[in-house]
Parts: sequence; C-alpha cells; structure tokens
Amino acid sequence: MLLKSTYNELIKIAYKPRSFIGIGGLIIIISIVLFAMKVDGDLYISLITGQFEQSLTFEGTILNGNLIAFIIIQMLIIHVPLLIAFVTGDLVSGESAMGTIRLLLTKPVSRSTILLSKFLASCVYTLVVILCLVFMSFVLGKILFGTGDLMVLKSDGLIIFQEGDINWRFFYGFAIAFLSLITVATLALTLSCFSENSIGPIVATMGIILLFTIIGSMDVPIFDNIRPFLFTTHMAAWRYFFDDPLNTTNILYSVAILVIHIVVLLAIAFYKFNKKDILS
Amino acid sequence: MMFKLNLSILLLLLCSVNTMAQDPRLLLNKVLVKLSQAKNYKAEINISVDLPYIKMMPINTKLYFKQKDKFKIDTKSIAILPKQGFLQLNMLLTDTANYTAIQQNQQVLNGVKTSLINLLPNNDTGDIVLAKLWVDAKNQVIIKSQLTTKSSGTIITEYTYGLQLAYGLPDVIKFIVDVKKFKIPKVLAGDLNTTKSKKVEKSSGEIVVILKNYEVNKGIPDSTFQ
Amino acid sequence: MSTQEKIVEVKNLVKNYGSFCAVQDVSFDVYQNDVFGFLGPNGAGKSTTIRTILSLIRPSSGTISLFGSSLPENRNYILSKIGCIVEKPDFYKYLSAQKNLELFAGISGKNIKKARISELLEFVGLNGREKDKVSGFSHGMKQRLGIAQTLLHNPDLIILDEPTTGLDPQGIIDIRNLILQLKNEKNKTVIISSHILAEIELIANRMIIIDKGKTIVQGVVADLLNSQEIIVGFTVDVVEKALLILQKSVFATGEIVVQDSIIMINTSKENIALINKLFCDGGIGVSSIETKRKLEDYFLKLIKA
Repeated sequence: MLLKSTYNELIKIAYKPRSFIGIGGLIIIISIVLFAMKVDGDLYISLITGQFEQSLTFEGTILNGNLIAFIIIQMLIIHVPLLIAFVTGDLVSGESAMGTIRLLLTKPVSRSTILLSKFLASCVYTLVVILCLVFMSFVLGKILFGTGDLMVLKSDGLIIFQEGDINWRFFYGFAIAFLSLITVATLALTLSCFSENSIGPIVATMGIILLFTIIGSMDVPIFDNIRPFLFTTHMAAWRYFFDDPLNTTNILYSVAILVIHIVVLLAIAFYKFNKKDILS
Repeated sequence: MMFKLNLSILLLLLCSVNTMAQDPRLLLNKVLVKLSQAKNYKAEINISVDLPYIKMMPINTKLYFKQKDKFKIDTKSIAILPKQGFLQLNMLLTDTANYTAIQQNQQVLNGVKTSLINLLPNNDTGDIVLAKLWVDAKNQVIIKSQLTTKSSGTIITEYTYGLQLAYGLPDVIKFIVDVKKFKIPKVLAGDLNTTKSKKVEKSSGEIVVILKNYEVNKGIPDSTFQ
Repeated sequence: MSTQEKIVEVKNLVKNYGSFCAVQDVSFDVYQNDVFGFLGPNGAGKSTTIRTILSLIRPSSGTISLFGSSLPENRNYILSKIGCIVEKPDFYKYLSAQKNLELFAGISGKNIKKARISELLEFVGLNGREKDKVSGFSHGMKQRLGIAQTLLHNPDLIILDEPTTGLDPQGIIDIRNLILQLKNEKNKTVIISSHILAEIELIANRMIIIDKGKTIVQGVVADLLNSQEIIVGFTVDVVEKALLILQKSVFATGEIVVQDSIIMINTSKENIALINKLFCDGGIGVSSIETKRKLEDYFLKLIKA
C-alpha cells in the first residue's frame, strides 16, 4: 500500500501548479545567470583574479562549465530551499485546507503509511529539483561554456581543481546538497502537520532557515556552542567537497547532523499526524 | 730585469682586470645573441605553484615562442604565471638602450661564477624600477634575475640549464613572487559559516616551471599565437 | 431487538475538547441492511460521532466496534468496508473527476479497474465530465462525485454526513432514491446524518436524535414517529371560553398549551373531531386545526433553539 500511496502523492505533486512554479522559477533564474555569465562572465572572473593580478597572470579557460555550475549552486543555496518548502509545506496542511484530508484518512491505509508516502514523494520532488539544477548548471553550463579546471574562491584564497578531479566532487556535493534539501523538506512537512493552511508552514520554514542562518553567521561567542548543531550550518556542507585536502570529519559530521534532524523531525511529524483529530 | 718582470706582471694583471671588467652591455649583448639563435621554439612544461592563498596541483601544458615577442601557453587548464614572466626578460635585453647597465661584483651562485649587472632605467615612465642580472659570462646565459617593478613588486627568477644551453634556453625556471594579502567578502566566497579565517604568514611564494622536449627552430605558424 | 447482524456498535462514547464535551455518553447500534438516521441540530455532535467512527477523531472514552472488530486496532480492515462522505465532499480541484477517483481507488485496498470508475461516473450522471477538473464542478456535481467515490470499492457500510446539503429538490430526490436502492437492491447498510427529520423519516428505518452531545431518543423510526399521540393546535376566536370548555371535558388529561389564539393539546387523532364538535357546541369558532407529531415538534424546537 505504501507504493500505491506514494504514487498517489507523486501524482498530486506533479499536477499541482505550485510544483511547476517552483521548477519553472529555477529554470528561469538559472537561464538568466547563464546568460549573464555568457555576456559578462569575464568581469565576474576579474573580481576573483583581480586580487592577484598585480603580480600574477592566469592562463587557461577559467570561465568554464564547472565554474558556472559552482557559481549557480552557490547562488541558489538560499533560494532552492524556498522552492522545496513551497511544495512540501503544503503536503499535509494543503489537504486540510482543501478538505481532502477527510477522504484520505478514511481509506484503509494507516496514517503512518500516508505520511511516509508524502515524505517519500517529497524526496522524489526534491530529487527532481536537484536534477534540474544539475542539468541546468552542470550539463547546460558545460555545453555553453565548455569544460576546464575549477577555480574555487574561498574567504582565505583560491583552490584550483583540475578537470579530472572535479566530477566526483560535484557528484558528492550534489548528494549532500540533496540531503540538506531533504532536511528542509522534512521540516516543512513536519510543520505542515501542525497547520490547517499552506502558507503557515512555508513561512515558518523559511523563517527558521533565516533565523538559524543569521545565528550561524554572527561572530557572537554565545552562539558558538549551538552553531555546530544547527542544520543550516550544514546546508552548505556540499562545499566541503571543494576543499583541499578533503576534510572527511567535517563531511561526516554534517551528514550525521542532517540525518539526525531528518529522523527527529520525522518522528515529531509521525507523532503529531497520528494523534491529531481531523476537524477540518 | 726585476722591474721589467714586475711591470710585465702588473700589465698582465691590469689586462686581466680589464678583460674581466668588460663592458656589461657587451656581455648582455652576447646573451641576447645566444637567445636570438632560437627563432622559435616549443616545449612541454610543467608548472608547480607554491603561493600563499593559492592551492593547485602541478599542470602539464605546452609553451610556444616566436621571435621577437610572440608567446603562448597552450592550456585549457588554469595556469598561474608571474606577470613579469617569460617575455619581459627578453624584451628587457633588447631594450638595453633605455637602461644604464652597471657592472657590480662577481658572485658564485650554485657553483657558477656570475657577473652581477644592474640595469637602471634612463627614465621613470616604465614599470621596471631596477633589474639585477646574474650572468654566467662563460656560457653567456642568465643564471638569476631580480626585477623590481612598480606594479608587481619584486620578482626573482632563477634559471637552470641543461640540454638547450647552446640556445640559452633553460630546463628549469623558478619564480619567486610577492603576493599581496588576499581579502574578499565572505558572501562572495560563500564561506557563510566560517567565522575564523586562517592567518597566512607568507607574503611571497614560488612558481617552478620545468621545460622539456624542446623543439627549436622547427617553425611555428603565427596562427598558433592567435 | 433485531436478529440481524450488528454492523456498528457504539458504547458510551465520550469526546471532550478541553472542558467542552462534544459527545456525552452516546450509545447506539446499527444492524445489517439498516438505513440508520442520525439526527440533531447543528452542533449537536453528529459530525463528531461520525468522525469518531471513521477514526478521524480519537474518542476520549467509550468503545466502537464495526463488523465485529474494534477500533482503533482494526482500523484498516474496518475502513476497507466503509464508504463515506464526511460533511461536504472535497476533492483535488486541480485533478479531473476520473483522476480523483483513480487516486482513491488506488488506496481503497481493492483492485478497482478503470471500467468500474467509468461505470460509477455514469451511474451518478457524470459521464462526459470525467476529464473535467473538479474546480469547475458545481456543488451538486461534487456531491455526485462523492457518491461515486463512496461506492468505488463496493463497501458494506456507507456513511453519508448531510448528503443533501446544498442540493436542489431533484438532487435531494436522487440521493433519497439512491439510498433506497443501495438498501433494497444492494443490501447495503447506510448511516445518514441530517438535521431534516422529514428526510430521515422517508428513508430510515432506525434513528437516533442527539442534542448537545447527548442522546435524546433512539429506536425504530416507525415506532418513534407513528405514535398515536400527536399535538393538535386549534385556532379559536375566544381562547378563555375554549379553555374553560376543554378543562371541563375528558380531554383535559392531555397537556394543554396556549400560544396566542392557538390552543395546543396532546391528544390522539381520533379525538380531533370530538374536540372540534365540543368547541362548536360551546359557541367557539374554530378557524383552523393543525396537527404535529410529538417528536417532530420536539425536534423543530431543538432546531430553532
């Protein structure tokens, strides 16, 4: 029954206009970025290399598909969670608002199965968003800009990865980005179980992300103890794959924090969803 | 008799001194003539970078040169070279009319006797403020150079020669460059959660270029440099 | 007591929301092939009770058994045998009628083919509209789609919560006929809730009336509504004189209430003509006679309150 229920949830997501708004928005944003980089990419590069150009020159193809993909992912790290929350925050509360929850929960499927199927469907949707991001940034970027070494700008310098050393980094980077987006999806889904309307969970999810991001970026000692445990601190963990040397401890720690968040949030969601009286 | 002998010895010594303290322009000219023998060449090069603020693996690529100032690094990979790199020394040597060459003392570098020649620009419009060249007079090649520029600070270049000594083409070039302190906004860098930045003590670094498999005077079309 | 199989057994059902008691100690049974009427004014606790049976709401106390199995342990088994509309039928507006039914068919616990869906859409009069999005449907069409959804998996028990709300007179007749068809031809058991006694009277064989969460009365409809005792209202010209005459007569044993110029008396059908003759012989002019069944009167008072 889980498969059938998950299939149903996928159909609902696929047919909802907001799902297309999310992905459509992503495609438009990335297209604009690709166009801008095609027109003015060299200017952007000079912002990076300008720091060194007094004594050094850079040869080779700096502006290439790998760099474009990196820039796009970095740029959209704030926006993509919103697109995810926009859809997943509606999965339970949207049904309450629409009234379909009454029909849904009078079917011979346990509430846990229904919620799990919604979670799985949200994972699939998140995967679709990531794949769209991969295609638009990575694949299309390479078609338009070619391939080459990747120059990664960090606050303390540059790292240049050779072409043959990049694809696996992107693969794992996308994988961990997927995990961080699943965390956002789970948060939105959990909040959705507490609400009877769609807007509340979406706004609450973005509010939490914003608040935690601010806490994470403030240089205040009082926040030093909680910062490592905030999931937003680890939402940029995909960047660890663009470090040299690779800090596997940091990566594993980030994965663990994100997984713990997912598990705890799901536990809360399951508890609430199973206990709640359907009054709408 | 003794006096004549002493005078002869003194004259001999004086001649030797004169020979040794020859006009630095002449020496530089000899170096230039040697370099000019290679009308064009290409080589496979390996570039290793050890600079503060930059991390990268060594890259293998190709270098093309054609008299008098056509130069290209044919690489898709990102290569970092000093701004005052390959061409500038050649151009400097051909432009010695705009500089005053002053012979300094002799020094031994890596077991090689060299003549230190200072080049001072005749006007202050150019970028180079001072150039120091350590020249191996015997082989008519430059062992080391130190260029002080207005825009790029000081760059020291050390040359090691091997198979292409006859053309004055080095096997290894080591650049020691100054690098300014790196500063870029965290948001642009994307290190959103990094609250502590690492302190970098060094302000200079090295770029080592190893050249091999030279093909000298085999002809290189101009289209290669476009 | 019926010798039929007991389909639904609700015992001492209580549901509290904080200090507010929505359902207080409600008990009733529904038997195989019953059309069970669930009556009460708005806010009486009908919907709460139905939602508790359907496991949409957790009871504070009490027991619920359906098909011999108790809730919540056998929830999935029980729900596989129930088809229901709870309040208004809501569907996924961005999906077509057919798609909606396909989704619900997929999780009904049975293998329902597309042909069955087409058959049901035709049955409820929505053939030709299967590809249309539900967002464009009228209330009546959604109600009909709701009925189709209820019957998808051929359930044994059908629960309809105010199914005629918002329907036109023809629609109401159609629903009524459908319920009777389900009972008589398909041998289904139906629980139907309403706040309109007349509707229930026409189709239900058993019923319960609740108010403020409490059971007021329950039993066989025929027994409850075909009682000999009725309330008769005589509109007279001289009320005091008419009252005097009545009080001296044998009919004074019944409850007498005066409302303006109407004298309401609890009596039986047979006494209407006799009381009328009494008034006429006493010189009292009677301009109209109105009869109400006692239970209907009570229910109407509940509605007005």
